[in-house]
Amino acid sequence: MKKLLQPDELARDARFSRVDMAERFNDKRTVNRDVDGEPGISSRNQRRLSPDTPGASDAARSLMHGIFVGEIQALEGAGRTCWDFEVGAGEDKVPFELKLDMARQCWDESRHCEISIKLSEWMGTELGEFGESAFLFQAACNADPVLRLTGVNRALEGLAIDVFNTMREFGKVAGDPVLEFCEDWMLADEVTHVKMGSDWLRRLTEDNPERRERALEFQRVVDKLFSLGGARGENDDSPIKLARRFRELAGFTNEEVDEIAGLAKEAAEELAARQAS
Amino acid sequence: MGDPRTPRAPFAPWDRRELPGKFDVEETARRVGNYKWIEMRLFEALGGWVATVPELDVKLRLGTHCYHHAWHAELWHKRLPELREMNQDRLTLPANDAVVTFMDAVTEPGDLEQTIEKLVGVYRVLIPHKIAAYTYHLNNTSSITDAPTMRSLRFAIADEIEDWRDGEMLLQSLLRDEGDVQRAATHQAKLETLIMKAGGITGPGSIGDAYDIGEGR
Repeated sequence: MKKLLQPDELARDARFSRVDMAERFNDKRTVNRDVDGEPGISSRNQRRLSPDTPGASDAARSLMHGIFVGEIQALEGAGRTCWDFEVGAGEDKVPFELKLDMARQCWDESRHCEISIKLSEWMGTELGEFGESAFLFQAACNADPVLRLTGVNRALEGLAIDVFNTMREFGKVAGDPVLEFCEDWMLADEVTHVKMGSDWLRRLTEDNPERRERALEFQRVVDKLFSLGGARGENDDSPIKLARRFRELAGFTNEEVDEIAGLAKEAAEELAARQAS
Repeated sequence: MGDPRTPRAPFAPWDRRELPGKFDVEETARRVGNYKWIEMRLFEALGGWVATVPELDVKLRLGTHCYHHAWHAELWHKRLPELREMNQDRLTLPANDAVVTFMDAVTEPGDLEQTIEKLVGVYRVLIPHKIAAYTYHLNNTSSITDAPTMRSLRFAIADEIEDWRDGEMLLQSLLRDEGDVQRAATHQAKLETLIMKAGGITGPGSIGDAYDIGEGR
């Protein structure tokens, strides 16, 4: 079996269709629709998902399907980290215990897939009904294990904390105790995964500040990309709200959360400027 | 209640644990090091395969089983220093070169059309051989001196049997015609030959020697 698989090599059955990120977010059914119903990521018009939003049902189904395929890719990413790197001390190697953490994450992500499949069925969604973009797995292709873990476990799993917290709140407001229950459990796992990323980043770069900075820079790139044009933010009406408390539990400092909030704001401003020009 | 100072047998009548066992500390450590090596190769491969398997149910089970074998590797890793091997890497080894050849062949299928070969290697060949070697160890070690290894063996065997059942059922559900059955059988025979040449997952004597009838018998 080869090492370092590429996103276009991920194995899927015939129900799934691969789309790029723009296509995915331009799906009219997604949460990021403009208030006039036109597709597109527009920070001016994005609102937090709530049961009384027009098209909330489709938006929630789309988001849940996005979570489902994200969980598959997270599972695949953790699995590939078990396979791609040998145990050892060099920069292209990993400690035995890191591999054990990744195997544990495989189990967790498998359960998350199962949960999101059940929830999708509950919400009336068929598997493959929405397109899949391989954006998450892209970050799991980095050949430096520290950069890979920082990009996946801190940036993307960090985003998962924000998304699950948002969905948990949505479940509460919508009076859906099953959704709230499931998101609460998945949120607990994501905090664990982000903490793994934070701990390994610190341990593996303890004596190598330059490598740490490269990893943090990679995280910034991923974080900015997944600020989704400002969809993630700290405002109460942000479609995806930064879950500050859970991020702190997962090893983020206050300053680091501030930085992500700043990146999200920057992404929103850049999008607004692009739209104005 | 009678006088609590009345002497009692140190081993209750139902406690049949025995001394000695078949394995000394050195041999136990060697076997445990082999177990750790093979569990590592297995969980790494299961993790790697997840992305290469299109069947969703198989993909999710491999993700779950990946952790089971990582946990077994961790149990053996922690047991080694208790067996006087402070440098765990020194004994984290395959039993012989033929075991390496066997594991390379088990983990070799990487294409998305090869789910049958992947499952055959793990669930029809490797895991049955692990269950055999673990059971032999469990039944032959001293139930007093080596109780910690036995405890880990029992946990591992319980997982192996459950995982074998999962994997075997998935495999049966994938065999849809004679060609599939033949593919599975051919691959199984190839791998079975390799592990036979290796003598099992811990080398010759993995499950003892059934032809050793002792002198004069």
